[in-house]
Amino acid sequence: MSTTRVRRLTAAILLLAALALGAVALSACGSGSDTASTAASPSAGPITVTDDTGATVTLDQPAQKVVSIAPADTEIAYAIGGGSKMVGGTTYDDYPEEAKSLAKVGDFSNPSVEKIVALEPDLVLAAGGIQAGLRSKLEKLGMQVFVVDPTTYDGVMDDITQLGELMGLEANAAKVVEDMTTAKEEVQARVASLDRPATFIEVYSKPLMTAGSKTFIDDLVTLAGGRNIGAQAGTGFPNFSSEVLVKDDPAVYVAMSGSQSAPGAIAKRPGYSGLAAVKDGKVYVVEDNLIARPGPRLAQGLEQLAAMIHPEASPAP
Amino acid sequence: MTSRARRNGRLGIALAVAIFAACLLLSLALGPVSLSPAKLVGYLTAGPGSGGPGGIIFWDIRLPRVLLAFIVGASLAVAGVILQDLFLNPLTDPYVTGVSSGAALGATFGIVLHLAPLPWMTLLALAGGFATLATVWVVARRRGRIDIYVLLLAGVTISYFVTAIISVMMIRAHEDMDAIIYWLLGSFNGRSWPEVEVALFALPFMVVPLFFAREMNILLQGEKRALELGVDVERAKRVLLFTAAALTAIAVSVSGVIGFVGLVVPHIVRLLVGPGHQRVLPIALLGGAAMMGIADLLSRTMLAPSEVPVGVVTTFVGAPLFVYLLRRRRSGS
Repeated sequence: MSTTRVRRLTAAILLLAALALGAVALSACGSGSDTASTAASPSAGPITVTDDTGATVTLDQPAQKVVSIAPADTEIAYAIGGGSKMVGGTTYDDYPEEAKSLAKVGDFSNPSVEKIVALEPDLVLAAGGIQAGLRSKLEKLGMQVFVVDPTTYDGVMDDITQLGELMGLEANAAKVVEDMTTAKEEVQARVASLDRPATFIEVYSKPLMTAGSKTFIDDLVTLAGGRNIGAQAGTGFPNFSSEVLVKDDPAVYVAMSGSQSAPGAIAKRPGYSGLAAVKDGKVYVVEDNLIARPGPRLAQGLEQLAAMIHPEASPAP
Repeated sequence: MTSRARRNGRLGIALAVAIFAACLLLSLALGPVSLSPAKLVGYLTAGPGSGGPGGIIFWDIRLPRVLLAFIVGASLAVAGVILQDLFLNPLTDPYVTGVSSGAALGATFGIVLHLAPLPWMTLLALAGGFATLATVWVVARRRGRIDIYVLLLAGVTISYFVTAIISVMMIRAHEDMDAIIYWLLGSFNGRSWPEVEVALFALPFMVVPLFFAREMNILLQGEKRALELGVDVERAKRVLLFTAAALTAIAVSVSGVIGFVGLVVPHIVRLLVGPGHQRVLPIALLGGAAMMGIADLLSRTMLAPSEVPVGVVTTFVGAPLFVYLLRRRRSGS
């Protein structure tokens, strides 16, 4: 490479660097004035919360533009009155109705980072598991990511409280949490003195998959007065042996609707004829979005589970 | 055949039968819920519908599952022997002809359209398998002859093509993705008598190659030599290819795509008893069945009450065994 070319290249790079610096300086001034204007509001000062992954999420002011890439997070955001701050969601968003018309950034398992960036959110709401890798990508691009990945019913309520702080909607969040607490306490009071029937939760049928320990579904079964058979198979959502199912003989069998099983079809599966749940007609299908999404509708899921596990102690629907 | 080889062959078959029987017994007795031999006899004599939970486990879950694993293992091993020797290629397994990918595509359609596993998904899988075979066949046919080399390349190419279609379907139908992935991994979990009934159709196809053992032995020396020795090469190829495809399609349609057994069992058997097909075919049949039976046994018990996909186990068990035998043969010769 000739020296003139090198010189020209260096000059070009310097020029670009100067432009970039200028842009950063300008934008810094811009945001500086923003902070000044919001300093008057009562909730001023940085908001810091620690999410379910142990990571710290810090916002200088309550989030104004929020993208959710997990349907449960979308439900929470709308439930605490943050719908007007939502600027993007995924194709999985189906509740509440308004969430369906959000700008789509892809689906739950594969959202587009480019589309998220283009919406310029000041807060991204994500889930754990398959979305774990996405967090570092988004954070490198300067975004704040709040991960909702609770393992208990109470953990869901904590997440709702924290999201309330991040979005500046503490009072609304407190109201949602209060309703959820009431629902939990009512169910607990009804089942407190009753036996705990062996309960099997079918998360998926091909292959048979259940909710193991350290999942909020396991916690729901316990709260609803049942004993989750799946807890012995490990954490998360393990496969489950049909032989062990027959041996452990659940008294209540609850299939999630995403498992595409009808109660009649479940009873006809090989080996199921001898199950107590089949003989007693205690095979149910539950709307999976009510027990599989860590959001405010978990309260309804808990009530439905309690009615399936302890119909004798539950009010008629 | 020398008398020593013949004696080794008989010994090999006797040994294979013994191993087969032992594996069958182990598979039936052991599991997340183990059943003692006395109980097994009790359940067998009492017949289905008796014996409480143990009887239900044995008749409705354990027995059909074990039978299915044995039939699928035998089918894949026999198909592997046929194809490796026809293609004269040691890396060939039952899946190179594209039949398994075609069957997987058929099953994927069944899953996406939410059809019942039986009979529709199985029929679609069989149809997909035979449709790809027909395509590969037409591509490889020239002037009434089947070019084995072209057939192999066409099979591999169509496999890739079909796999790409499956990937697109998986992404489009995201709510069915888990079902498709688990189906592709292969499993005997949740299979019962209806699947066994389908798999029984594989039994006659396992017998067919035994009648072509002489032709297969001669074909090992190349098609030219076989023609000189008066073998109807094209007829043998047609029958054997169709047989291998039918075995593969039936196996895949009831269990998904389970790897390694069809590749490794033929090699292990040849390493142990030599290349003669009168011995290799029956021993591979018994050995494939036994290996799949044991692999499924491990898949049921290793992490009980959870399960490990059986294809993972076949690889974990098969790969070290194969490497050991390769090393042993090298140091021995």
